[in-house]
Parts: sequence; C-alpha cells; structure tokens
Amino acid sequence: MTGTTSKKGNLHNNLGDAANITLFLAIFIGIWQIVFMIGIWPTISLPSPIMVAQSFVKLGSNYSIFYNIGITLGRLVAAFSISAFLGTIIGIAMIKFRSFGKALNSISAGLLSFPSIAWVPFSILFIGFNEFGILFVVIMSSIFSIMISTYSSIRNIPPLYINAARNMGAKGFSSFRYVTIPAATPSLIMGIRQAWSFAWHAIIGAEILMSIVGLGHILSVGREFLDMGQVIASMITIFAIGLLVDRFLLHKLEERVRKKWGLDPHQ
Amino acid sequence: MTKLQARNIVKQFDHNGNSVLALDGINLNVEEGDFVCIVGPSGCGKSTFLNIVAGLETPDSGEILLNGKPISNPGPDRTMVFQEGALFPWLKVVDNVEFGLKMAGIPKDERSQISQRYLDIMQLSKFADSYTHQLSMGMKQRVAIARALAMDPEVLLMDEPFAALDSQTRDLLLVELQLIWERTKKTIIFVTHNISESVILGNRVIVFKNRPSKIKKEIIIDYRRPRLTEDENLQKYYHEILNELKTEVKARIKDEYQ
Repeated sequence: MTGTTSKKGNLHNNLGDAANITLFLAIFIGIWQIVFMIGIWPTISLPSPIMVAQSFVKLGSNYSIFYNIGITLGRLVAAFSISAFLGTIIGIAMIKFRSFGKALNSISAGLLSFPSIAWVPFSILFIGFNEFGILFVVIMSSIFSIMISTYSSIRNIPPLYINAARNMGAKGFSSFRYVTIPAATPSLIMGIRQAWSFAWHAIIGAEILMSIVGLGHILSVGREFLDMGQVIASMITIFAIGLLVDRFLLHKLEERVRKKWGLDPHQ
Repeated sequence: MTKLQARNIVKQFDHNGNSVLALDGINLNVEEGDFVCIVGPSGCGKSTFLNIVAGLETPDSGEILLNGKPISNPGPDRTMVFQEGALFPWLKVVDNVEFGLKMAGIPKDERSQISQRYLDIMQLSKFADSYTHQLSMGMKQRVAIARALAMDPEVLLMDEPFAALDSQTRDLLLVELQLIWERTKKTIIFVTHNISESVILGNRVIVFKNRPSKIKKEIIIDYRRPRLTEDENLQKYYHEILNELKTEVKARIKDEYQ
C-alpha cells in the first residue's frame, strides 16, 4: 500500500547513513593523521593513514591479500557448515532426550563463554598443527551456540502453534518440517548470527597461532617483520569482512524473515 | 442422530503441588447439526473441556464418542478455532487455510479449490496472498474459521474466538457465523464467557458451574435466525442465564481472593 513512499524513504535513509559513515571515517582518519604528525609514537608503532594505504596496495599487488582472504573464508565456511550441521542435530537431540538437553543447557553459559583461543593448545595436541586442527578450533567455538540456540528456539515455540498444528492433523516429521522449523526460524537465525561471529573470532585466533596462510597469518607476519602498516591493513580487512558478511548476508536474512512475520515495528 | 457424546469427563490439574479438580463429571450429548454454546465463569474449565473434545488434552476418566466411537487423539474431524486465532505467521492466508489439507496429503489443485471456496465464504479472497500480521483481528479470526471449515470437520470447536474483538466486529461475525452454520449445517460447540454471544448463537446454552465444574443448567433457545445483538426479545434468555451465572461468578471471585 505504501510501497513507493517506503522505498523512497529507504533510499533516503541509505543515503543519510552513507553520508554519516563517510563523515565519521573522515574525522577518524583526520584525527589519526594529526596524532601521527604530532609524533607521540614512532612511525614503526603508528604509521600514517597513507602508509597503511600503501600496505594495502602492496598486499593487493601480488594478490596475496585476496589469496589469504580466500583461504580464511574457505576454512570458515567449511568449519561453520560442519558446526551448523552437527550443532542442529545435537540441538534436536536435546529436545528429544529431555534430561540430556537439560544437562547440556544448564552448563551452556560455560560452553558459550569459553574463549575460542583456549581450544588452540588442546587442538594442537589432539588433532595436530595442521588444517584440521584449525577447523577443530572453529567448530568447537561455534557449535555450542548453534546447539543451544536450536534447543531454545524450538522450546520457545508458542504451544498454541503446536496445538493448532496437532488439531489439523500434523504429526511426526511433517509437523517438524512444516511447523517446528518455520516457527523456530526467527530465533534460529539470531543463533546462527551469533555462532558466525564466534567462528569469525576463532578462525583469526587460530590462524595467528596455528597457520602459515590466511588473514590471521598475515596479521602475525606483520608483527614479526615490525610492519605496522600490514598489521593495520589486515585488521581493517578483518573488520570489513566481518561487517560485510553480517550486513549483507545474515542481517538481511533476519530482516526478511522478521518482515514476513510482521516482527518489525518500523514498517 | 447423536454426533458427539461426552461421558462422565473428569479432569484434575496440578497446581503448585495441589491437585485441583477442574471437571467433575461432564455429560453432554450433541446432535448432528446442533449449535451448542457453553458458558461459565472464567477459569471454570470450559476451555479444558473443549480441549478434551479436540483431543489436545486427555481426561483422567470418562470418554468422548464421535459418531459412537471413542476418540483419543487430536484429529481434523474436530477442528478448533482458537481464541488467539493461532494462525501461522510464516504462511500466507491461503496457505494457512490449506495447512490441514496439506497435512492430509490432498493434492495441490484440490487444495486450492477448497481454500478458494472457504476464502470466498469468509470474504477473504482479496487477502489470500497476505501474511497474517497484515490483517486486522477480525480478519484473522475469519481466516481461522475458514481454516477450520476447510477441513470439513464433523464438529467445529470454537474457543472464545471473538473475545479479543471490538464490539462492532464481533456483532458482524456473530451474524456471519449464524449464516455459515445455516449454510454448512455443521455441528458447532462454542465456548464463551459472554452471555449475549451464547444467546445469539446457541440452539442450546449449557451453563457450567464454577470449579469443580459440572453442568449446572441447560437452556434451549428456540428463536428465529439470524439473531441480532440488539434484539430485545433475547433479553429474557440473557437474564435467565445471567441469574444462573451470578452465583457462579461470585463463587469464582471468592476462590480467587482466598
């Protein structure tokens, strides 16, 4: 009904957002440049924005940054898929076997807050100083979030939906497929978002300590060669990827579901 | 012909470790094509009784017979219209109406024929592709009725379906429901705490006693349809039921403040 006006409104908002962000970045880089020129820190500890840009050009010119982004994202996708798959199955098992579910749920705070980096020594000794060791760290860091969110999303489905479904003859698998899953979806997506950010923390940490390629690795190489430009350039890359994936993939997905359900009060 | 029979239904609840007797032997026969309203003070167990008829809850003793056969599980032969509608927000209106048919394995073509028919009856065709959050409360309840009717149930169960509506919308739906009943000849059991609703809708009004609930009184309302809210001739029935209920509501309030 208000399609055109709301589209215009969105465009207007987006332009406004972009202007805000540009202004913020300009001020941030300006302050950085001023601090650099005052010279409190030596150049080796704090390069200028232009020097960091040069590091970007250097990392981009031999494609090494793209290669390392590819490696990191490849690992992340592989590990996260395994984690999402197994985590969902275990989450559903927690529903099916109630005392198992209760037991796991009661220690969930410990599991969720467990620092990803603390899995590294275990993984090196248990799996090895290799690719699988890195995947293991990422899986262990994100799987609990998937498990617990699957469990609580399903448990928090309003009983009214379940009763309505039973009343209309939904049973067994079709009830699960057509009622449980869609009813739990908005909250499942939030769990996936959280698990994805845990996995992202974990992969960079694991790469700093365990890898000879990847974004985490070029970050730690920058430190070894006292190349602060490369360190900051890697950090900006990590920041940008984290932001882009969330904004253009996970957040979009969540918005879409919320809009369909009418959970967004601003429409 | 007796469509549905409740035989000595007893139900207890656990409430903070104490067991509370909610239903203390409910016996009720509902004839085919009848429109039966159940009224009682809130919390008297009338919704529990309806859930037991639906098979969503099991009685501690007694049984429900449908066409002479005992039922134990929920089934699409006894579809329910819930107070809050209980529509699925992830489905379009048309898919909500077709949900039960899909569960029954009815092919797509046939499903859309059936859903179209009931969306037409409920004057919802324009909104077939809307999501439920885009509808008003009254429209949601009409979808819920269409969804329940689409299953072509033996008995239609309605649990205070108009309780959350504004009075104008409710008055409209009260007339609409009477017309649908005349058109489809469905057997309907309608639970409400609203006396005038029960007088307008019911061929028979069953008054439930406060907990532990029993049937206190049955009032036959033999009056032409469609009945309107403002019809003064219905007042005598209204007062008859009100008198029965007054003592029950008082007992209920006393229970709650103890």
